[in-house]
Amino acid sequence: MSRQPRAINPKEPTGSMIRDSALGLVPETLDHYLRLNRAIWEDGPLGPAEIEVARLRNARTVNCVFCKSVRYAIAKADGLDEERVAMIGDNYETSSLSEREKLIIAFTDQYYRDPGDLADTLKADLLRVFAADELVHLSIVVAHFSGFSRCAVSLGGMPDDLPLIEMSLPS
Amino acid sequence: MIRLVEENDRQAVMAKLPDIAKRYRELERALWRQEHLPAHVLELCRLRLAQLHRCTIELERSESDLPEGKRAALSRWESAAQYSAAERACLAFTEVYAMDTRALSDAHADAVKQHFGDAGLVMLVEALGMLDGMTRLCLLWQLAPQATGAEVTA
Repeated sequence: MSRQPRAINPKEPTGSMIRDSALGLVPETLDHYLRLNRAIWEDGPLGPAEIEVARLRNARTVNCVFCKSVRYAIAKADGLDEERVAMIGDNYETSSLSEREKLIIAFTDQYYRDPGDLADTLKADLLRVFAADELVHLSIVVAHFSGFSRCAVSLGGMPDDLPLIEMSLPS
Repeated sequence: MIRLVEENDRQAVMAKLPDIAKRYRELERALWRQEHLPAHVLELCRLRLAQLHRCTIELERSESDLPEGKRAALSRWESAAQYSAAERACLAFTEVYAMDTRALSDAHADAVKQHFGDAGLVMLVEALGMLDGMTRLCLLWQLAPQATGAEVTA
């Protein structure tokens, strides 16, 4: 991955981390992107902690250092502390994460690995545990955060590591 | 066959979450109307993603008109004469993005910027996130393709 940013936003800083990034070069889509992001966090049936599990698993898979370093305050308030975040790793299946959280991780992994070959056993478990609207929400959550992480990776300027940073939803 | 969703098209699936679907449609509309990347270039990238993912349902639909012959030759865009240098730069970027985003090089990005500038590069990666995402969701949801005979050759 390139450590040099591949696109530069020369505009006057606004104080918003996202608007001041290269994404601010395309304001025509950024406002819509941020509104969709907020709707995904606030207007779907999954709670913030479950959304954060999917987002952090995605960040780990894509290896987006920015995304891995962020913790959304609403997910923390919903019960996702650092002890539980540490379980979203290689050994998640034997961790004390809930069945729902483990299935969210399995679904996220399948999204990357081979979305056209979801095993019947995983489908049956997802259908048993989640309501129909929750499965649609989970799908959109994973697609949205995958796109965001891969956008950040594609645009370069990624450090090797960053300290944790707690954020509220960007507006 | 077990499916995650009962519906057969993405609008019907998304309708389960009307507030999110509304925001998604607004972003999608803005993406196809922006002026940093021509819509036909985005359409070529969308179709190439569909070919690489072997997603018939995304391949058979159309978001934007394409110049004559470009759709048919897309699976051999590297050697086909129909494609401009600008289109090739975006298609090369799209292919690496789809396979392993971390493998994208500065050269891939520079090639896109040479034709569309920094904002064009940003627009392309935003668009690829959305287009690749919807392609993967069509596969996960096992949406039914229409019988149009669309080519899925990768």
